[in-house]
Amino acid sequence: MNLYHSKIHRSLLVKDARTQQRNNAELRFRAYGLTAVSVGIVALVILLVSIFTSGMTAFQQTKLQVTLELPEAKLDKKGQRDLVAMKKVTTIGYFKVLGDGLIAQLERLGIETGLKAKEVREILSKESAATLRNAVLADPSLIGSTVTMEFLANGRIDGYFKGRVDRASAQLDKNVEPGQLDIADALAERRLMYTRFNFNFILAPDASDQRPEAAGLGVAILGSIYMMLVVLFVALPVGVAASIYLEEFAPKNRLTDVIEVNISNLAAVPSIVYGILGLAIFINMAQFNQSSPLVGGLVLTLMTLPRIIIPARAALKSVPPSIRDAALGVGASRMQTVLHHVLPLAAPGILTGVIIGLGQALGETAPLLLIGMVAFVREYPAAFTSDSGLFGEASTALPVQVFNWTQRADPSFVERASGAIIVLLVFLLIMNALAIFLRRRYERRW
Amino acid sequence: MTKLPIKISAKNVDVFYGAAHAIKSVDVEIADKMVTSFIGPSGCGKSTFLRCINRMNDTIDVCRVTGDIMIDMEDIYDRRVDPVQLRAKVGMVFQKPNPFPKSIYDNVAYGPKIHGMARNKLELDEIVEKSLRRAALWDEAKDRLQEPGTGLSGGQQQRLCIARAVATEPEVLLMDEPCSALDPIATAQIEQLIDELRSSYCVVIVTHSMAQASRVSDRTAFFHLGELVEYGYTSHIFTNPSDKRTESYITGRIG
Amino acid sequence: MVSISFPFSMILLIAVIGYFAARRKAIAMVKGNLRQLQALPQAYGQTVFFTTFLPATVILLGWAFVVRIMGPSYALISDGLFQVLVIITAAVGAALSYLRVKPSQRARAISERWIMGVLMAASALAILTTIGIVISMLSESAIFFRQHSWSDFFFGTVWAPNFRGGSQLSILPLLWGTLYISFISLIIAVPVGLYAAIYLSEYASPSLRSVAKPAIEVLAGIPTIVYGLFALITVGPMLRDFFVQPLGLGSSSSSVMTAGLVMGVMLIPFVSSLSDDIINAVPQAMRDGSLGLGATKSETIRQVVVPAALPGIVGAVLLAASRAIGETMIVVLGAGAAARFDLNPFEAMTTVTVKIVSQLTGDTDFASPETLVAFALGLSLFVITLGLNIVALVIVRKYREQYE
Repeated sequence: MNLYHSKIHRSLLVKDARTQQRNNAELRFRAYGLTAVSVGIVALVILLVSIFTSGMTAFQQTKLQVTLELPEAKLDKKGQRDLVAMKKVTTIGYFKVLGDGLIAQLERLGIETGLKAKEVREILSKESAATLRNAVLADPSLIGSTVTMEFLANGRIDGYFKGRVDRASAQLDKNVEPGQLDIADALAERRLMYTRFNFNFILAPDASDQRPEAAGLGVAILGSIYMMLVVLFVALPVGVAASIYLEEFAPKNRLTDVIEVNISNLAAVPSIVYGILGLAIFINMAQFNQSSPLVGGLVLTLMTLPRIIIPARAALKSVPPSIRDAALGVGASRMQTVLHHVLPLAAPGILTGVIIGLGQALGETAPLLLIGMVAFVREYPAAFTSDSGLFGEASTALPVQVFNWTQRADPSFVERASGAIIVLLVFLLIMNALAIFLRRRYERRW
Repeated sequence: MTKLPIKISAKNVDVFYGAAHAIKSVDVEIADKMVTSFIGPSGCGKSTFLRCINRMNDTIDVCRVTGDIMIDMEDIYDRRVDPVQLRAKVGMVFQKPNPFPKSIYDNVAYGPKIHGMARNKLELDEIVEKSLRRAALWDEAKDRLQEPGTGLSGGQQQRLCIARAVATEPEVLLMDEPCSALDPIATAQIEQLIDELRSSYCVVIVTHSMAQASRVSDRTAFFHLGELVEYGYTSHIFTNPSDKRTESYITGRIG
Repeated sequence: MVSISFPFSMILLIAVIGYFAARRKAIAMVKGNLRQLQALPQAYGQTVFFTTFLPATVILLGWAFVVRIMGPSYALISDGLFQVLVIITAAVGAALSYLRVKPSQRARAISERWIMGVLMAASALAILTTIGIVISMLSESAIFFRQHSWSDFFFGTVWAPNFRGGSQLSILPLLWGTLYISFISLIIAVPVGLYAAIYLSEYASPSLRSVAKPAIEVLAGIPTIVYGLFALITVGPMLRDFFVQPLGLGSSSSSVMTAGLVMGVMLIPFVSSLSDDIINAVPQAMRDGSLGLGATKSETIRQVVVPAALPGIVGAVLLAASRAIGETMIVVLGAGAAARFDLNPFEAMTTVTVKIVSQLTGDTDFASPETLVAFALGLSLFVITLGLNIVALVIVRKYREQYE
């Protein structure tokens, strides 16, 4: 039997060639693993860096200060300070007054422009006329006086200060003239144009296609909060009730088996399917308002429920049977045992699952597109109105606002979309931190 | 006390699990072509010491071994020693039969394949047959070599694991309570098998059954609280122990 | 329209009054000697509360929903009359159950039966959701198939909606894009996710694991819209400028590759956390058996652990595939809108989900086949993912039981 040739000398101190080869394979395998882990981490880093670099500037906004006269002849011809009459003057009229004021200011400062009046005016955001108009309508006594106010600069000028626009690109862009950039430089030198923290980005509602500089997330944040409230107040009790029944009381039979598979499947159904459900049932059949946080919240609730039930059941399951036996042993009913002893012990685990489910709901976009949340919403929704009920008014949501902005033509909206994602991620970070805190603080291991 | 050549010799071996001192300065010399059994109460360190002999303890992060263990006069904890090579030479059979979820054939062929012991399918077939014969499983398994090993009965599974271990042509066979998960009939078969293996290998068996130790082994080592209390001919240990603790254990007063 | 707030608050009010009244009555009937009661006084209160609150609320909400769906003309009675009736129901429930309060009543059992009913109703919602999904999509799809030939939908080759009529609406080119993108994403996510899971559970030092594991899990917590934007503003343009255009493979930044790459990254944590669970379920004894024979760690993993975990891993891959097929935002922003059969992964292509979104957003006319086709697409998507999910869930379950 020469099969055992390997037995001839097998000193352990000498590594044979084959072992060497196998050890090399081992090292290669390890390297693949390390590469895979690095790929994951590098992808995360690139993702975050790319979003943050393009989005951080959304939190800064370029503004300019204009000192101007508010001529009665143009803003209130009748001179009676009658609001109804004054409202007849549109933002176009105000834009003219504001533009003239800017040109006069440039002349006073001795800044040469060489541009047409229209081009000088366009340094200002189209939104600035509305800012001025609102200020005047709020305080008609301003008319006739000279005021100094802060206005938004046009998106391209804003881009210039953020490094997105330079003279070379301005040459090619029909929306901005190099001359306008000269004016911007001159104003900046005199500290009349500057970039400041952009509260409006978080507080203001969305703005139209031509004025990215004025677009904000206020409505979207409020809409998201309303929807999360709906999800919380519907999905939490229903989800906990369902998991208690399934885990503690349900008999083990065909039906509960079907329910169980069904719930696992619902947790894995593409979210867009829930959008189709919401569209068909809540909007087409039940005629709820499109884009309302109520419908959005209900759709997200249905989507979140199975994702709450699964961890909630796991949390209930992890409470050891000895606790149940102890409670039953002193004469408590099964219901009392569950409600008084098991549920409180499982609560941290359940809450963690709820928060993670809420986080997923907060970032969900696709189903909301289908129920009309892509609509352009300029006004803050009221929480309650007599004709549309609780959360029944049109609104939008954070992730949908991101999508909306990606569909706009003006490239300045890319910055806005990325900025909105930063806000979204901050919300998610807070929620996840809360979940981790709860887990660390309260969760027991049995 | 021995005439047969020494296969394994341990000097001053200490094992720590983190801060816990599991084995306390054990010295032992184990002879070739013999069955040596380690007995002692649960947690006495007998399994831990067994796992030092083929460096299975390396797979546990917190485990640290000091002292010398020599096999054929070579220090197995030497930096030049590759545990992979060592374990081919020192095979192991575990407490619970743990066949791989593969066919019977592949279970046995696994070791020879990874160690490159067969040059072709024919040689591999030969190794598999020989190993199954050695483990007294050939007659029961020869018609179902392609069926999964997990489909065998518990005793057959354990013999499959023994066949798997002998297939790599080890010189030492370590058995960690190989019968504790088996019924009495399967146990008897395994014990008979161990008796046959004696002629070709240096067999070390950990057992919690004193009866088993007295039936199968030539030498017996009694461990207690991490110390090697007594070591000698099995007949001697069981009839005339020199240490008080050994006597208490075998008469059932401690354990 | 049925108003809810007023009758609901009235029901609640009656129920709360009933609770306190019943509790008082129970105590009074035994003259404060609570030991003579069958249950604690609050159990009598709860019984009255539930008997008052639950039936009336169910009638109120149920009727309000029916009227909403069927339209006001189906409301047989006026809103005002209905409100009065609901409130009377509550009052009658309160009165009857209040009269039944007596020391010998098994109040706790009765109130617990009500609670159990609520719990069961909550679980039934899961079934109702599925039924709602199926019915809503089936009914709209049925309208679609009445207007459009089913053979074109299932076996046509062209997707060309035309709102003036004569549209060709075939799912096949969309399905091709969907499967192509899912395939690319799985090619990335499965090996990376699997190797990462293996490395982290079998090799990594505790300190590396404590950093890398959460980092990869963070990827799972990032909403898909973020990945979509990443595809749109970073990955797409980068692929186009540094790879696709220089090599003359195309000129589009939206492409199968863009969407597939980003979706692959999205699925990495999904695959790795599932495989992690599955690999850890393989018993240590199996590893010891292999290591004890002198196998290296990698030989053990490749030849023993992974084959043992294979069913579970297959289940995980199927779940990942189901996710990739149903993923929407990444493909909406990264894949493009052109429905075509093409092998070049650097061309823009489109998917089922993209077309569902585009046919259902904007100005839509819910009577035209061009809109209704979205429901048929949705139904197909639901059926495909349902099949994958169920197969995967069954496999994973069987696998878990094997090692339990």
